[in-house]
Amino acid sequence: MEQRETFWRIVLLAPALLVFGVFVVWPLLDSFRYSFTDWNGFDPNYNLVGLDNFARIFRDPEFRNAILNTAIWIVAALLLPVLAGLGLALLLNTGVRGSRVFKSIFYLPICLAAVIVGQIWIWIYQPDWGLLNTAIEAVTGVRRFNFAWLAEPSSALGAVIVAWAWQQTGLAMVIFLAGLTAIPSDLLEAAAIDGVPRWRQTLHIVLPMLRPATVVVVALSVINALKGFDILYIMTGGGPFHSSNTLAFFMYEESFKKYRMGYGSAISVVLFLIALSIIVIYFRQLRKLGEIYD
Amino acid sequence: MTDVTLDASRGSFRPGRAALFLSLVVLALLFLTPTLGVILSAFKTTRDIALGDLWSVPATLYLDNFVEVLTNPSVKTYFINTLLVTAPATASSIVLGILAGWVFAKLPFRGSETLFLVIVSGLFFPPQIILIPLFKLFNRLGLIDTLWPMIIVHTAMGIPICTLLMRNFFTAVPNALREAGLVDGANEWQVLTRIALPVSLPAIAVLATLQFTWIWNDFLWPLIFTQSDDVRTIMLGLVFLRGQYTVAWGVQGALALLASLPTLLVFLFFQRYFIRGLTMGAVKG
Repeated sequence: MEQRETFWRIVLLAPALLVFGVFVVWPLLDSFRYSFTDWNGFDPNYNLVGLDNFARIFRDPEFRNAILNTAIWIVAALLLPVLAGLGLALLLNTGVRGSRVFKSIFYLPICLAAVIVGQIWIWIYQPDWGLLNTAIEAVTGVRRFNFAWLAEPSSALGAVIVAWAWQQTGLAMVIFLAGLTAIPSDLLEAAAIDGVPRWRQTLHIVLPMLRPATVVVVALSVINALKGFDILYIMTGGGPFHSSNTLAFFMYEESFKKYRMGYGSAISVVLFLIALSIIVIYFRQLRKLGEIYD
Repeated sequence: MTDVTLDASRGSFRPGRAALFLSLVVLALLFLTPTLGVILSAFKTTRDIALGDLWSVPATLYLDNFVEVLTNPSVKTYFINTLLVTAPATASSIVLGILAGWVFAKLPFRGSETLFLVIVSGLFFPPQIILIPLFKLFNRLGLIDTLWPMIIVHTAMGIPICTLLMRNFFTAVPNALREAGLVDGANEWQVLTRIALPVSLPAIAVLATLQFTWIWNDFLWPLIFTQSDDVRTIMLGLVFLRGQYTVAWGVQGALALLASLPTLLVFLFFQRYFIRGLTMGAVKG
C-alpha cells in the first residue's frame, strides 16, 4: 500500500517538478552564477569576476536611480490601488443597486493586457488632443495646454504609475470584496441594533476584520509593482533620461540592449533578494493571521 | 460570491443611498473612460481624433480602420501565433497542476508542505530573475525565434497557480471518495481521472480563464525569445505595428480592440470563474 502510494507520488509529481525545476529553479540558480561573470551574451567564453558586478552596482548612479524609482512605485502601490480598492469595495458592499454591473466595470481593466493599458493611457496623456490636457483646458480655461506628461522627466514616472494603478485597483477591490463577504453579517446587525452608526461599524468592526485581505492586497500590490515592466516599456521605455527607469526595466536594458549579461544577472539577483524578503514577510503574516482567524 | 447586505432597508428610497449610487455612477464612468476612448477611436478617422473629436459618438459607422487591420497579413500571423502558444501552454500547465495538486492534497509525504510552498512562491517572483539563463538555454537548443520557448516557459510559469488551485480544490474532495474507489479496485490514476476530475471541472474552468488571459496578454517572453515578424505574438506585434501606424490612431485603436477581443469575451462569459481564480490564488497563498 505505502509502496504503491510512493509510486504514484513519483509518477504524478515528476512531470511538474521536472518542468518547474528545469525552466524555473535551475535558471534562477544559474542567474546567481552569471552574476559573478562578465558574460556578454554571445561569447562562449567568459571570466569569473567575483563580486565586481555587485561592487559596480553600488557605484552605478543608474542603479541608484532605478532603486529610487522602484521604491517610489512601491510606495505608490501601497497607497493608490490599496486605498482606491478598499474604498470601492466598501461602497459596493452596501448592497447598492446595480452593484454587479459596477463590479464588472471596475474589474474590467484586469483582463486587459499591459500593452493595451499602456496604449490607452498614452492617448490620455497625448499632448495635443489627450483627455487629460483637454480636461485641464476645460477646467482652467487655459487655451492650448500642451504639457507632454510622458516626455517630461518630472512627470513620466508618476504618469505611468497612475495608469498602472488604474488596472490594479480592480484586483485590490476583488480581494477586499472577498474579505468583506467573510465578515459575519449578524455582527454588524447586532451593532446596528445597538445604535452604532455606520461609519463606526466600518471603523471598529469591518476594517479590523479586513486585516487578512489587507495583507494579501498589500503584498500583491508591492510584488506587482516590482514586476512592472510591460507598461513601462510601452509608455516611456524607462525615459526620458532614465527618469522612469525601474529595477526590472534596468535589468532588461543592461542585459538585452547593452548585452552586459553578467551585470544584468547581478541586477536580477538584487531584484530576487528584494522579492524574496517581501515573500517571506508575506507568508509569515499569512501564517500569523491563520493562527488568529482559523 | 454572495453579497452581504449590511442594510436591511434595501429598496426603500433614502437620500444617502441615492448619493451613494450617483457617486458610484460617476466613478464607474471615470473608470470606463480610458477603455471607451479606445473603442471610439477605432471608429474614427485620424483627422477626427487629431481635431479633438474623439469623445463624441460617431454619426456614421466608419470601419476603414478595421479593414486596414484585417487586411494586414502580419496581423493574421500574430493571431495564429498567439493561439498556437496560448492553447497548448494553458492546457499543459493545467494538466501538470492537476497531477501535482492531487499528490499535495491526497498523498502528502514528509517535506511535501515545504515543496508545495517552494512551488507556490514561484507566483511572486519577477520573471527578470530567470531571463538570462533561459535565453541562453533556448539559444543552445536552437529554439530562439520559434514559438517553443513561449509554450515551454508559460507552462513552467503556470505550474505555481495551477498546482495551488488544484491542490486547494482537491483538499475539499472527500477522502472517502478516493478510498471507496481504491477499495473497488481502481488505482490512483483511475481515481484521479474518473472520480476526482469530473467533479473538479469548475476549478479547471477557473484555471483555463486565468491562464488563457495571462498568456494571451503576455509581452515579455516574446520580446526576449523572438526576432522575426513571423513568430511574433499579438501583443508584441501590436507594439511593432505602432511604428508602422505612428499617427494612425484609429488603426491603432482597432488593433488594440481586436487584440483584446478574446480576453474581453472570456471575461464577459466566464467572469465568475475569472474572479474566483484571482481571489483563490491570492487569498490562499
